[in-house]
Amino acid sequence: MGLGLKRELIPQIQSFYPESQQDSAIQDSIIANINFVEIAPENWINAGGKAEADLAWFVERYPIVCHGLCLSLGGPNALNTQFLKQVKQFLSANKIPLYTEHLSYCTDNYQGKTGYLYDLLPIPFTDEAVKYVAQRIRQTQDILGQRIAVENASFYAAAPISTMSEITFLNAVLQEADCLLHLDINNIYVNSVNFAHKQDPIKLAQDFLHNIPAERIVYSHIAGHYQQSSTLLIDTHGKDVIDPVWDLLETAYSLFGTFPTLLERDNNIPPLPTLMREVNKIASYQANHKHHPASQQAHNLTLATC
Amino acid sequence: MLDFQRYQLAFTAHLRNPKLHAKPKKVVEARMAVYRESVFNNIFESISVCFPVCQNVLGKRKWRELIRSFVSDHSADSPLFREIPQQFLAFLNGLTLKDNKNSDSSEIANQLPPYLKQLAHYEWIELAISSKQTGQTKPQAADLNCLDNQITLPNASALLAYDYPVHQISARFKPTELEKTYLLVFRNSDFDVKFIVLNPVTFQLLSLIQSQHLVQSQPLTGRLALTKLADELQHPDVDLFIQFGADILNALLHQQAITLT
Repeated sequence: MGLGLKRELIPQIQSFYPESQQDSAIQDSIIANINFVEIAPENWINAGGKAEADLAWFVERYPIVCHGLCLSLGGPNALNTQFLKQVKQFLSANKIPLYTEHLSYCTDNYQGKTGYLYDLLPIPFTDEAVKYVAQRIRQTQDILGQRIAVENASFYAAAPISTMSEITFLNAVLQEADCLLHLDINNIYVNSVNFAHKQDPIKLAQDFLHNIPAERIVYSHIAGHYQQSSTLLIDTHGKDVIDPVWDLLETAYSLFGTFPTLLERDNNIPPLPTLMREVNKIASYQANHKHHPASQQAHNLTLATC
Repeated sequence: MLDFQRYQLAFTAHLRNPKLHAKPKKVVEARMAVYRESVFNNIFESISVCFPVCQNVLGKRKWRELIRSFVSDHSADSPLFREIPQQFLAFLNGLTLKDNKNSDSSEIANQLPPYLKQLAHYEWIELAISSKQTGQTKPQAADLNCLDNQITLPNASALLAYDYPVHQISARFKPTELEKTYLLVFRNSDFDVKFIVLNPVTFQLLSLIQSQHLVQSQPLTGRLALTKLADELQHPDVDLFIQFGADILNALLHQQAITLT
């Protein structure tokens, strides 16, 4: 189980972390179920001062994974290779084995220059886009010298030029790029509601999940969202995880066996002990599926984090 | 350009400036609105948190307009979130260059108070110094003194000269006249960022110390720096000057505003 590392949580994790670094002391602590943490490289690269000291504290105590936001895999401008080299250096300096990114874009080509818009924008689902994005993922993997995972992103506006479904697009990209999958359970649900068009979103989400290439899953995200209306959910990571999303996680574990799962909470962050209830809930779901044979997915992250 | 990229660029053009660029055809308006708000609000928050005083002196409406024109007119070229305020600063500094261009930005530029760029720089430098990478810093040895040991400024520090008293500006105090203002900003060992207001002579002393260190790679001892400065200022009593100077350097050392080696 993992937890997204927000600045607000750092002093709390540090205070609950037992002074004795013996395994038993850690297992008895309230944060025992935090087995790894996730950070956005865009928040930590080149950061000095307190942030640098905090990062060093975590590097010594926890496996860390990097989940990026601004690589702009689907962006219209050349891939930012200078940034990727910084990422590579950052991963190696902090012993971070895995880098994942969103299947989205966040840049335009404004006034002939790359302009960052700092948001996750939706890539149209077309054959051209599959080839384009897959090529950029391969280029990223070549520069980093390692495989990356891409996340199924939440989105709100369907592109009228799309010629395929999201799941078809996702599978085509994964196959063409031969990369790993960072499976976001909440995003499956959010997109199913946002594009249900009067169908049953639960059924749509289940169908999506059944078409996931299990062997590519490296780890998953679970999170809460904001319900703007009955047909529009916004992926804010600002509330508790809702039951239908937990149900999807349960389905995923029964279909594919358990895999590492991380709680994302970016807004309205409750005190750590409250947040731990959800991390612990992931643990209990995983315990229920212990009878499943060791899955390829667990192996993917073990390979990456050990 | 590929077809889907043409769509993407129409999408982002609308996000940047919805008044000027219509949304791509057949995209549901309510859904487009989600992106419009999300992109603008993210950037608005990231900038506002760094520039609370600028926001106060301009007022909410004008501040929003200014960030609106940043979103529509500036190509932010850094993927790092921490550098969004720096991008905004670059945008502000570029505003006068656009004077002759017929854009929203040049219209706004004419309405900004003359001290705003320097105030923005002053607000941004706190963030820059708090997150500056410095590598390992050695603890200060105890048996050193300001006159006989070499002096440098801390690795995370900046010596600043402004044309306005930027540190005093607020919604209730908006300077109308120029007033040279000298500041030293630095990060102490608790990672707190501190500002010290300097008188012109202390500023000159620290400038001399800094340039000897950075330009000549030859840090001066306090005694040498003060002797040099007394000479430049043609001070009649060098010993007295050194004595006063030592008091000032000791006070700065006490606050971790200078480092001895």
